[in-house]
Amino acid sequence: MAASITIFRAKKILTMNPRAPAATHVAVRDGHILGAGDLADLSVWGAHRLDERFADKVLMPGMIEGHCHSMEGSVWQDNYVGYYARRGPDGIERPALRSIEEVVDHLRRVEAEMGEGEDAIIAWGFDPIYFNGPRMTAADLDRVSQRRPVVVVHASFHIINVNSVVLQRANISADTDVMGIMKGADGEPNGELQGMPARFLALGAIGRDHFEEMGKKESLWRFARSAQLAGVTTATDLANALPETTIANLKAVTGDPDYPLRIVPAFLGLSCPAAEGAVKMRALSEQSSDKLRLGLIKLVADGSIQGFTARLKWPGYFNSSANGLWYIDPDRIADTLAVYHEAGLQVHIHTNGDQATETVLDAIEQVLTRLPRPDARFTLQHCQMAHEAHYRRMARLGVCANLFANHLYYWGDQHVEQTMGPERAARMNATGTAKRLGVPFAIHSDAPITPLAPLFTAWCAVNRKTVSGRILGEAERISVEDALSAVTLGAAYTLKLDGELGSIETGKRADFAVLDADPLAVGAEGLKDVPVWGTVLGGRVFPCADIAGGL
Amino acid sequence: MAAAGPIPLSVIGGFLGAGKTTLLNRLLQGASGIRFAVIVNDFGDLAIDGDLVADHGGDTITFANGCLCCTMGDSLLSTLNDLARRDDPPDHIVVEASGVADPRQIADVAVLHPGLVRDLVLVLVDADTICERARDSRLKETVIHQAEAADMIVLNKCDLASEQHIADARAWAAEQAPRAALLETAHARIAIERLLTLDSGHGIGNGPLRAPAVAHIGHAHDHANQFSSAVVILEAPLDLAALRGVLNDLPPSILRAKGFVSSREDPSRLHLVQLSGRRLRIEPWPVAARAGVVPPRRGRVFVGTPDMPPAAGLTRRLGA
Ligand SMILES: [Zn+2]
Repeated sequence: MAASITIFRAKKILTMNPRAPAATHVAVRDGHILGAGDLADLSVWGAHRLDERFADKVLMPGMIEGHCHSMEGSVWQDNYVGYYARRGPDGIERPALRSIEEVVDHLRRVEAEMGEGEDAIIAWGFDPIYFNGPRMTAADLDRVSQRRPVVVVHASFHIINVNSVVLQRANISADTDVMGIMKGADGEPNGELQGMPARFLALGAIGRDHFEEMGKKESLWRFARSAQLAGVTTATDLANALPETTIANLKAVTGDPDYPLRIVPAFLGLSCPAAEGAVKMRALSEQSSDKLRLGLIKLVADGSIQGFTARLKWPGYFNSSANGLWYIDPDRIADTLAVYHEAGLQVHIHTNGDQATETVLDAIEQVLTRLPRPDARFTLQHCQMAHEAHYRRMARLGVCANLFANHLYYWGDQHVEQTMGPERAARMNATGTAKRLGVPFAIHSDAPITPLAPLFTAWCAVNRKTVSGRILGEAERISVEDALSAVTLGAAYTLKLDGELGSIETGKRADFAVLDADPLAVGAEGLKDVPVWGTVLGGRVFPCADIAGGL
Repeated sequence: MAAAGPIPLSVIGGFLGAGKTTLLNRLLQGASGIRFAVIVNDFGDLAIDGDLVADHGGDTITFANGCLCCTMGDSLLSTLNDLARRDDPPDHIVVEASGVADPRQIADVAVLHPGLVRDLVLVLVDADTICERARDSRLKETVIHQAEAADMIVLNKCDLASEQHIADARAWAAEQAPRAALLETAHARIAIERLLTLDSGHGIGNGPLRAPAVAHIGHAHDHANQFSSAVVILEAPLDLAALRGVLNDLPPSILRAKGFVSSREDPSRLHLVQLSGRRLRIEPWPVAARAGVVPPRRGRVFVGTPDMPPAAGLTRRLGA
């Protein structure tokens, strides 16, 4: 007996299939798409059930977030204190906090609602780059509590502010001679901790290990809810050292039919010697399932632009900051890449600055010359500063780019004024150049760094508008159609999943984003505001309305 | 066996090819009877002799080539937590840091970690190529960070470098790291075991202070005479500010000084005093009051080049 067929009727279906870009019906069997068209086109498949619940909705392929982190799931157990309002994985919007005072007041309310114990108060998303004025101090956070540890993690995740309780527990005093412990005019530590040692030991002193948190089942569920609310059906976790407990938890959650997300974790390729990593990931790739894809490798070449740790070519940072940091010895990149490449594994490489991009392209060219393999699909992640010449090389080498379009909005003004200056800021995340030169590209949020919301990311690439309303590089804007393709087929291509995901056509998995409006009809400005009703994953319907309060 | 004080942690930094692994293998051979935990963050053709580590009851823990400060910082920290919490902790932890890992950040973990104490940061540079690297637009900030972090810079491979290259390397190191001691050698022939704090059964705090054992080097180039040492006993409490002044004025032939003193303000409280190159650290010793732990004897060991001042001279300077 043939499995049953469901035909979903929608107001409109954007298929991303160039031969038939629009449809009204899609037929699904066994979690896969039989075809898209009108009812008559699809009835030829035989007996079916007609599902009309999307009759006033617009369907598009389930969106694919090609660069985010499962930390998106763990951060929401803590208090969001960002400058912009942001919706959590429970569907509830957290308010924007526009000053240090508002952050402190918010945390005081949190404190007031907590029990008698001495549990820590942890907050995240704080971004003083938007405040012109004094920095947050331990005295501010002592007003939240003088009894409980209070930690405020910055949006970059590289700086934290703590109260006096944490300073005491971590044994940090005026005498502590450690880099990154900021001190006030009186020589006393002021509660701002930069850099790995101070930050991690302060968190350690209150018993928090964020890598452990990330791999927990509750975190993975919140990650999936966040994705579902945004119309995302496949998301990467870029990257993860993939310890056994995390693998077990990933298998358990994705094995649950109620779990609304396919996950593509990338292995942190520097977390062990490459030869060991290659063996581990070859073996793990055999354990992939339809909702858990193992085998991708990620390497990190440099730091971030707004943190002034990206590696830049001449003339360096606009505000004369020192050049950034290598996270891997530039002379060792080729050898490391070669090990994973030779094992048949695909490698994504984080490069932010143009010097990092160029150095990695040199390494890829060496590796491909030494070990030719068709369609290796090396992908540069972020690749924010790549110059046109780099894109030409990428096109020749078959290298993809996953560009950080959200940066244009959130830090575009800072890039003009502080990091890059006007001309280089205008070429950041050059989607227009990638499109013109035929470099396969995706766009991303890097959630939880910025919100997981591909329609917003698409809006950024289409409008290139900064917070202040400045347009950053008009020539690099792309069309709405191209932006929607970047968050579906484009991202699928970078993950080598374009044969089964990213468009609505025969044979692909029945993954849809269900929208309340047509993103092609709302115009470039309205793209970010298109409401997401829910998703369909492998033919199963996941309404956002089911989430509210359900976490 | 009661765990004594915090475990000393040292960092050996420098680019691949500078001689880090050779130096580490020399240390393992030279300091027999000491149990090391070796954390390796760099992999070249030359491997650290894991058997040698294991023979001494120690461990080798590996991280791949990269920056230990960012994504890998967490796993470094949890590794160090595990080592510090062991019932049977190692005597000394050595981190072999990759070229792009900032040695200072790793050493800072030991400053803050209650179970660890920062010992020595030694950076090896290839005397032949360092100036070229310092001019390379990709690498210059990285080599400067390394040099700035160093208590000691070892110009290695001096046998392969021209006089001019050695002179340039010397000048570069003096400019970038005026507070670091500078040593010159070939084949990483440094009696490093005499510079590290290895003089106790468990960590630095347990048992009497004694001069480092004469190195047992199992090969022809015996470098036991590379360094001199002197012991000065300082039982009376000292004025720490005055001590600071005296130690800062010692001649550069003193490469390293370490030991315990008690201060005049609070004679019951011990302080660990370390001079490494020209970098002085005086920090309160956390385990002074712990029951069952033999308090370390007050005094200092000085290690320097053969022309360093004798013990009597040092005693006089210290006013003991
Ligand atoms: Zn990322």
